[in-house]
Order: sequence, then C-alpha cells, then structure tokens
Amino acid sequence: MTCEAVELDLDPYVDRELEPAAAAAVRDHLDGCSACRQRVAEREMLGRLVRSAPYYTAPDRLRARVMTPVARSRSLHRVVTWAAAAVLVVAAGGGVLIMRSERAQRGTAVDDVVSGHVRSLMAEHLFDVRSTDQHTVKPWFLGKLDFAPPVVDLAAVGFPLVGGRLDYVGGQPAAALVYQRQKHTINVFVSPSSDRQGGALDAQSLRGFHVRHWVRDGMSFWAVSDLNDRELTEFARALQTS
Amino acid sequence: MASRVFEETMLPHLDAAFNYARWLTRNDADAEDVVQDACVRAMRFFSSRRDGDARAWLFAIVRNTWYSRVSRRASVAEATRLETKRDERPDEALDPEARLLQQHAVAKVHAALEQLPSDFREVIVLREIEGLSYKEIAAVVCVPIGTVMSRLARARERLLALLKTAPLEMTS
Repeated sequence: MTCEAVELDLDPYVDRELEPAAAAAVRDHLDGCSACRQRVAEREMLGRLVRSAPYYTAPDRLRARVMTPVARSRSLHRVVTWAAAAVLVVAAGGGVLIMRSERAQRGTAVDDVVSGHVRSLMAEHLFDVRSTDQHTVKPWFLGKLDFAPPVVDLAAVGFPLVGGRLDYVGGQPAAALVYQRQKHTINVFVSPSSDRQGGALDAQSLRGFHVRHWVRDGMSFWAVSDLNDRELTEFARALQTS
Repeated sequence: MASRVFEETMLPHLDAAFNYARWLTRNDADAEDVVQDACVRAMRFFSSRRDGDARAWLFAIVRNTWYSRVSRRASVAEATRLETKRDERPDEALDPEARLLQQHAVAKVHAALEQLPSDFREVIVLREIEGLSYKEIAAVVCVPIGTVMSRLARARERLLALLKTAPLEMTS
C-alpha cells in the first residue's frame, strides 16, 4: 500500500474503527514507513494530551437546579437505605445465599449491576479500599466475603485498577472492582456462580450504560461502564484472559 | 415515577453533558444555561425517547439547545463566523503564540482545541474525551459516519498544525 492509500485509514486506525483486515493492511504499511508511523504517533500523542486537559464537571448548583426537590430528599434517603441494607447483608451473611438461585436471573442482575454502578458514582461511594495495587485490594476482601475474588491490574493495557468496595448483585454479596479508562469508570462486580458456562461474553446495554457478563472458574463477572461498546469489550477480553 | 426514571437515567451523565456543553460554549455560564435548558427539554421528550444510549441522546439535546441559542443570538453567531474565518487563515491565529510557548503541552492543546471551529472541536471532544465510537458521534452530530471520520482527520490535522506553530514540550 502507498502512503496516499493509507492516509484515509490512519485516523480510523488510531481510533480502532477499522475492520481487522484493513487494520492489518495499515500495520503492514507502518512496518515499512517511518513517515506514516510518525503520523500515527502524533495522533496518539494528541489524543493523550487532549485527554489530559481538565474535565469540566457540572457545578453543584447546576446539579441542584436540575434535580427536583423530591429527588434530592430521595437520594439522601437512598443513601441511608443503602447503608442499612449493607449492614443487613453483612449481618445476614449466609442467609442471603438462599435467595441466590431465584434472584440471579439475568434481567434482574443487569438492572442490579447498572443501578450499582450509578449508585457508586452518585453517592460518591466508589471505594471502600482505594489503591492501584492488586496486592492491597485483594487481601482487603478477605473476611468480608465468603469467596476470594480474582483481582488483577490492567494498567498495562490501559485500564488501571483504582480500588474496590463491597456491593451486591441479585441479593448476594459481591466484590466490586473499580477500573479507570481516561475519564470513565468501569465497575466489575464479581460473585460466585453455580453456572458452569464457559467464557462466552454476553453484551447488553441499559439506560445508556454498556454491560458485559461472563463466567469463569465458578465466578460471575459483570463489567459496567459508560465507556463505548468497543473499548468495554476490549476491557472484558483483557480481564477474561488475564 | 417518570421523573424518577428520568433522573436515574440522565443525572449520571450530567458531568459529561456539562463537559460537552462547556467545550461548545467555551464559558461556564453559557454551559450551565445550556445544560439546564437541555435537561428541561430532555425531561419533556423523555417518554418519546427510543431505548438506546442515554448519554448520546443527552449530548444530541445539549447540541441542539446550544445551536438554537446561537442562532438566536447574533453576537454569538458573529463570533462563530469570525472564528471560522480566523481559522481559515492560520497565520493570524499565531497571536497567542508567545503565550502558548510558555505554557505546558496540555494547556497548548487545550488552547488549540478552543481555537478550532465548533464542528471540529466537538468531534475531538466526543471522541477523545468522551470515548464515543464513530457511530455514536454520527448520531449525536447528525451526519454520516464518513463525515465523522473526515472531520476527525481534518480536526487533528488542524490541531497538529496549530501545535507546530507553538512547539510542544513532549515531557508530559
């Protein structure tokens, strides 16, 4: 391929929007063309710099104006209910497990994990343990759950682990692992699964959030984020094969 | 009930809506007004929303809200036209060069991005900051995917050209 032929594909290549065959053709060309490699590098650097610019977050007064008074009092109520529920889950321990089989239906679980994700962002209760070190996060769950969630950092592939907390899915306690991609938060809910299915990746969307589900080594994984479909799949695959 | 569903669906995207509006309007006060108006519109049309990406849907409303305000306000329209004109003659955009030279690489990119015409600026923001796919951007901006692709390419070319007039410090 000539540089002219590749030119139109460079941006979609950088954005990972090319079909695999087209991406492979660009890679082939890049192997032998330092000028085009430079152009790709410039675009990638530009992306990194743009993402490093400050993110404009909505001022509190705007949030307050957009939320109705009813919702404001309810969100406080929700936090209180949530705290009470968390205490109950910890106290009831095994009792909750009885509800597992019937409550763990897919639809309910998708709703649960999306709500859990939203709650973690809205109530600003994203972390119980804040650390980028998997060797700090993993032991933190010891004694708080009756299973040991696998905890891996994916910083090497662009999804750093930033912390974890206790949460629950379908009425059963779950480990919530928090990853970051640029400005996007990814919550991964991990809990034991009786489902013996393999590593098939199940993709869904709900209320504007993308959800990936898979089962591996007797554990059920739910990844939830507002990250785009493609990058969330990339994340799920990285976690599946870690 | 409707408002509960609305808030649970939309409020998590308020920061993203504000960030996008802030990049469109380039000032805090306008961005706040645009997002507030957009939320009122979103609430009104919420029940007729097709189930899809709530964030992209809110972006589209923020965008429409901004453009309908711009077309009502001659001064802003004028500013936009001047900006486009200036952008077509990059030599005259060298004015802030001395200032840019003293700044950090990130600040330079930030400034360069603000100088881009809004059509280009928004595709960069939606792609690089919000991480939307070409398909999602196409839906927000109401253009074909091919147009998204060419706008992104041209926007990057312009940004790189602006940055080359103010050399980048690669350290950060």
